[in-house]
Amino acid sequence: MLDLNRERLLQAYETMKTIREFEERVHIEFATGEIPGFVHLYAGEEASGTGVCMHLDDRDSIASTHRGHGHCIAKGVEVKGMMAEIYGKDTGTCRGKGGSMHIADLDKGMMGANGIVGGGPPLICGAALAKKTLKTGGIAIAFVGDGGSNQGTTFESLNLATIWNLPCIFVVENNGYAESTSSKWSVSLSGNATDRAAGFGMPGVEVDGHDFFAVYEAAGEAIERARNGGGPTLLECKLNRYYGHFEGDAQTYRPQDEVKNIRETKDCLELFRKKVTSDGIADVSDLNAIDQKVMKLIEESVVEAKAAPNPAEQELLTDVYVSY
Amino acid sequence: MARRATFQKAINEALEQEMERDSSVIIMGEDVAGGTYTEGDSDAWGGPLGVTQGLYTKFGDRVMDTPISESAFIGAAIGAATCGLRPVAELMFIDFMGVCFDQIFNQAAKFRYMFGGKAETPVVIRTMIGAGFRAAAQHSQGLYPIFTHIPGLKVAVPSNPYDAKGLLIQSIRDNDPVIFCEHKMLYDMEGDLPEEPFSIPFGEANFIREGDDVTIVAIGRMVQMASEAGDALAQDGIQCEIVDPRTTSPLDEDSILESVEKTGRLVIVDESGPRCGMAADIASLVATQAFDDLKAPIQTVTPPHTPVPFNDFLEDLYIPDTERVVKAVRNIVKGN
Amino acid sequence: MISVGILANPASARDVRRLIAHASTVTVAERCSMIQRALIGLARMGVDRVLIMRDHGGIAQGLELAQKNRRKDQPLQWPKLEYLEMEVGGEATDTLNAVTMMCEQECRVIIVLGGDGTHRLVAHACGEIPLACISTGTNNVFPKFIESTVAGMAAGALAVKKVQQELVCLRNKRLMLEINGKAQIPALVDICVTSEDWIGTRAVWRPKDLRELYLSFAEPGAIGLSSIGSLVLPRARELDEGLEIMMEPSSTNGIKVEAPIAPGLITEINVDSCRPLRLGEPKSIRIPKGTLALDGEKEIEFNAEDQVKITLDPLGPWSINVDKIMGMLAKNI
Repeated sequence: MLDLNRERLLQAYETMKTIREFEERVHIEFATGEIPGFVHLYAGEEASGTGVCMHLDDRDSIASTHRGHGHCIAKGVEVKGMMAEIYGKDTGTCRGKGGSMHIADLDKGMMGANGIVGGGPPLICGAALAKKTLKTGGIAIAFVGDGGSNQGTTFESLNLATIWNLPCIFVVENNGYAESTSSKWSVSLSGNATDRAAGFGMPGVEVDGHDFFAVYEAAGEAIERARNGGGPTLLECKLNRYYGHFEGDAQTYRPQDEVKNIRETKDCLELFRKKVTSDGIADVSDLNAIDQKVMKLIEESVVEAKAAPNPAEQELLTDVYVSY
Repeated sequence: MARRATFQKAINEALEQEMERDSSVIIMGEDVAGGTYTEGDSDAWGGPLGVTQGLYTKFGDRVMDTPISESAFIGAAIGAATCGLRPVAELMFIDFMGVCFDQIFNQAAKFRYMFGGKAETPVVIRTMIGAGFRAAAQHSQGLYPIFTHIPGLKVAVPSNPYDAKGLLIQSIRDNDPVIFCEHKMLYDMEGDLPEEPFSIPFGEANFIREGDDVTIVAIGRMVQMASEAGDALAQDGIQCEIVDPRTTSPLDEDSILESVEKTGRLVIVDESGPRCGMAADIASLVATQAFDDLKAPIQTVTPPHTPVPFNDFLEDLYIPDTERVVKAVRNIVKGN
Repeated sequence: MISVGILANPASARDVRRLIAHASTVTVAERCSMIQRALIGLARMGVDRVLIMRDHGGIAQGLELAQKNRRKDQPLQWPKLEYLEMEVGGEATDTLNAVTMMCEQECRVIIVLGGDGTHRLVAHACGEIPLACISTGTNNVFPKFIESTVAGMAAGALAVKKVQQELVCLRNKRLMLEINGKAQIPALVDICVTSEDWIGTRAVWRPKDLRELYLSFAEPGAIGLSSIGSLVLPRARELDEGLEIMMEPSSTNGIKVEAPIAPGLITEINVDSCRPLRLGEPKSIRIPKGTLALDGEKEIEFNAEDQVKITLDPLGPWSINVDKIMGMLAKNI
């Protein structure tokens, strides 16, 4: 991990902080009723998306889940465009026609958040096949949840990726809940996805998803292996989400102080802050400056999103086809 | 004399010529080569009916056998299409769409719209349709209306070798996702087939026959039934205009409406079923937009609302035949 | 009532060594199977009760399902299985708490399924209770790969006193660790000082980062960091000595060894010096900043202000010799 110099560490912090503040703000704004539809918040899981995506560049593709804001930000999708998209505005990343669950930026290799659980893995097999065939040196990463790890598409994709030796990685973000159902029940043998990889002859690695450094190191190895033709890996990040499956979910299925305890003892941003400040790599003032920069960006993006126009009426009918 | 070849050859040739022209075109599907990793021949099958045979020998790794994992490999073809390849994936039988439909209708069809116009998904899914093979209920359906219903997909249903080649070449060159339907009973059909590559635009119907008395819109294999009916009715002085839409999405609405404006009478013969099928769709189009041109009620000739039976006698009853088309015409047109 | 404890770690054999080396995967399903085999061995020897932790990793759940979903035409051949009444947080402290409770509830033997790291934790809490050490995973030195049915029989034989503890057990050495005067949980096999800045995914595999290695033993045929020692100067488990090894990747002096530091990973290590490590003689580490890996897992980051002392100690855990016990059960006709 020698490439984690001060600059990279501050960049990691800024990415995680941006995701956290973006989600916390969407949580607040959604409650006012101004944001249409559904949102699914990634707060609490930042170390996973950031630790993985920091290794990637524009050659690489990722596919996300319905809980996609964190992956979008980690992959470099523009924050203001994302906020405008969540508000459904014309200035949004997808011109207001996709919304929270379908934010995508193909120029940045972000193949989309996905409203279909398990929708991503087959697409990522394809992206990886394209990069292998066209010899771009790129790789592809599918993020799925513990719930998505039960979908048939995931199993088929694990098999296909192995037999075709595709340059891809399946990152299972296991937060213990598939909607309101415990993954300890729904994922056979107590919710561990890692062991499933063994069945396909694929290496499976588990890391603590609250620990940026653990995720970064393991993901780095998997990505390098894929880039060099070594084939796919399953990386399971065990972590926690702070908010419900969707905004509006009262989360009564969780023990009362569960989220509070996690925020107090295992928050990935706090753990990161403590580590880099105690190691002397950064000052508290450096991090606070980043905090302020991020808050300003989020505030501006909300103000601008609210003020932005709706798409014009004729946009209802455009972009169905390239040509018809 | 023009060169003659089969519908099957037309498809094979279209694939071969496009793969020669464009190195980003790849083929994948179950047994599209056949024999992968076995100790016998590779290129053993070329698809279950041999349609893609020879392509693996010529193009090697660009022709990929897949495991029986439709949602994974159809999804992979779609994902690869967004990342610079132009895959032609084979969904062996349209009846199997159930196991991969999400990737087609929720992913491929919607990327461009959901992502604000930034995605292009130039994937072709070739698939076998149609009854008559005694293949029974799960291998004989004509489910193209379901794909036609989905905005973002294009659907082609060629009725002869010439259209098959031209439309498949167009499908591969097209930058939208295309469902290319090949009727399994048409593979052995012979017809004129130019050797050089050529393309046929989508949304352009073919007028098989011209006439003033009645418009018969026929799709896929039913074009043959309509043609034979046209010949029989001509003996009786009834001149049929036979319109083959060739693609159901986009549909050449203008040609259909112009023909009905001329003839005032419409018979639609289609092998997809009576509920929410192409006959219902086209009947609705004409009834709403050309009501004043109609001199008689619209006639539809379709199978019954049942699964396809196995027994050969029953299956033959299921499939609309020439006699039923003739009868439908006679319901609304008097002969000599 | 004769009680035995079983401590099985669901989380070992899942780290990045699956990726950067060829470390094996022992699935949770396989661990459940191993425990069931051990239970059968224990029951056959007359052990009444087995205590086990209700882990979150799938093992307890697997055992419950095995009991519930088993075929009904065959009797269950287990002792009474009891789950410890304790909070389980999914952390290392769970192991310490569980083993403490097993001792309090008079377990006569504790069967451990895990790697070096798991055994290290169990050893810290088990006091005088002997351990039956079963390796899960290939990167281990302290526990061996032994078949669980037989391990259960051997542990059971000891628990019901068919054999005498003094004849069939070994008192193991351990490496005591003090940081700024505060005692840490001792290591059983090795303490490695690396020059890395962060713990990261905990595994140790990059030779250029290794600086100092303290071994309680270095058996020939070992895998892992102690193989560095065993390829220079083997030290048996029973010996009153360990090894102290200094490594400097950039130096051209010293002895080069080709050491299998992880399964499928053989690297050249430059050993600058290798000296016996005597019991009771504290050693201060030399490099000012880095991480400490205990029994193969990086645990502690230290810097120039920290005082780190390592001492070889004779009072580690008792471990049973399965072969010896089974030999003593032979009828010898």
